[in-house]
Amino acid sequence: MINVENLVKTYPGKVPTLALKGVSLKIAEGELVALMGRSGSGKSTLLHQLGLLDLPTSGSVVINKLDVLSLSDAERTRFRLQHLGYVFQEYALIAEFTALENVYFPAMAFGDTSAKERAAHLLDLVGLQERMNHYPSEMSGGEQQRVAIARSLINNPKVLFADEPTANLDTVSSEVVFRLFQKLNKELKQTILVVTHEPEDKKYVDRVIWLKDGLIEKEE
Amino acid sequence: MSRTDIKTALFIAYKTIIKGHKSTVALIIFILSLSFFNLMFVSGFLSGFSDGIMRSMIDTSTAHIIVIPQQEPTRKDFILDSNSVRAQIQTIPGVISTASHYQLGGSFAYDKENNGKFKYVSAPIIGVTQSEEKNVLTVSENMVSGEFPDILNKDEIILGANLSGGFGTKQTNDLGGAIVGHKVQVTYANGITRIYTIRGIFKITIGGIGSTAFISTKEAEAILSTYNNASEIMVKVDLTKNTLANYINRIQSILPELTTETYIDRLSTVGVLVSAFNVIAIIVSIISIIVAAITIFVMIYVNAVSKRRQIGILKAIGIKESIIELSYVIQSLFYAILGVIGGTIIIFLAVIPFLAARPIPMPFGNASLVYTSLGIFINIASLIIAGILAGFIPAKIVAKENILKSIWG
Repeated sequence: MINVENLVKTYPGKVPTLALKGVSLKIAEGELVALMGRSGSGKSTLLHQLGLLDLPTSGSVVINKLDVLSLSDAERTRFRLQHLGYVFQEYALIAEFTALENVYFPAMAFGDTSAKERAAHLLDLVGLQERMNHYPSEMSGGEQQRVAIARSLINNPKVLFADEPTANLDTVSSEVVFRLFQKLNKELKQTILVVTHEPEDKKYVDRVIWLKDGLIEKEE
Repeated sequence: MSRTDIKTALFIAYKTIIKGHKSTVALIIFILSLSFFNLMFVSGFLSGFSDGIMRSMIDTSTAHIIVIPQQEPTRKDFILDSNSVRAQIQTIPGVISTASHYQLGGSFAYDKENNGKFKYVSAPIIGVTQSEEKNVLTVSENMVSGEFPDILNKDEIILGANLSGGFGTKQTNDLGGAIVGHKVQVTYANGITRIYTIRGIFKITIGGIGSTAFISTKEAEAILSTYNNASEIMVKVDLTKNTLANYINRIQSILPELTTETYIDRLSTVGVLVSAFNVIAIIVSIISIIVAAITIFVMIYVNAVSKRRQIGILKAIGIKESIIELSYVIQSLFYAILGVIGGTIIIFLAVIPFLAARPIPMPFGNASLVYTSLGIFINIASLIIAGILAGFIPAKIVAKENILKSIWG
């Protein structure tokens, strides 16, 4: 599903920062994988490159047999909309949209006319059927993150990326989110790559890739 | 851009406006209303000034069309059989009325104190039939002393205030304050000298008419030794029924030997003033549009910058930059349209009624705001185009930013 070869990312500046020093990894379809490591190890940077939110300095990223780095800006945007789901640490919901609108909006932009029903179904799946007409400001952090997860699934993505989705959540909400990832992975065969810094989250995933100083340290 | 893209952009714009801070939305609309008001008021006021001057010239000096004697191949002094010529002109639909003028010139001598100290002034003199004149020009409505009777006796004269003196600003070549009932001596170019009693004094400050004098047609014919001719025929028309050019074509078709001029040809120095005002109006309008565009740009830019995170999220979930840009263009279009409506309401429901209730006097009458359909359309289109550009550019700048930078700053 995902094949990364020798990925390098350097942030320019007076003193350029080498965030990824040549990462190579493979993730199979239907896997639930965690990227772990200390702060500054490069795990979020790696996820940004795989989620096409940023461009690496060198290397290759193949998702679903497509060399995504060879795509134009517009094609990458389209690919992101059509094939990738992304869950941010800070939910990144659109404040002006209700929960339901946040979820069905990416599908609406894709021209999907049945998006509303599917969005309602996804909100039901994440346990927020009663909150679908609420705005993000009226919801708790855990609820907002579940809305973000439902949104990431609306276009049936090939891969779901989650960048420290439980960092701002309490223990109970964190468990709800990881249980949800497990459920999606088991029931929908959803490929999920999640960044987390909590070692106890290992129990929810199939495989853990440890990063250290911009390189893969080990796999468990 | 597909229909789905437009629908998506409309949805973003709608939700952003509806869920935006009410006070911010109200402030943007208020400022744009003031921008449009400024654009409309200044251009309308300057147009009103030009229009007022031209209207004053038409009403008091030139009428709409002036028919003059044959100029080519040989120049003639008079229009012959003026009664017949006027009758023919008046058969043209839309012609309201006509009046014949004899043009003379003379040297005035006035001894105000009856002490033998005369003041001499040269001035144009017009021979008119007062009852006809009143149907074409409004000199009779601008009397400051005496009257403009329907029948002026052969030994009576009506003076412009700039010629008589004594009414307002002192002219270098006036009679020093001639008074109704007093006598003036006029020596015509052909050497004939007459003494007239001043019957009335009129005051018109626009154009040169205020420095002229009127005598009766019969007196003018006696001086010029002619009968039923005219130096010029003034024609008043209804411009709502036909264009000036069409009236001229009709007159020329029935009177091909005569020459026609329009009030525009007679504006002379006033025309320079009107042209200057028109240029000023255009310059001020352009500046107003630029100010309005900058205002919209700053507001939409600040708005777009404050929505950087939203823009970043939209891009992150795969929304095209063009959709995001269009949504901001739609938002600025919405603000611009409401600004136009707001500004129009201020102009038509507040300023125009205010000027009607408390008129501001001008030399040509009361100040008024004058708009043409084309002028209003240009103002509206200018603000809307400025709004679109001023919305597009900041949205483009912000939408171009890196996704992660937009979301996290």
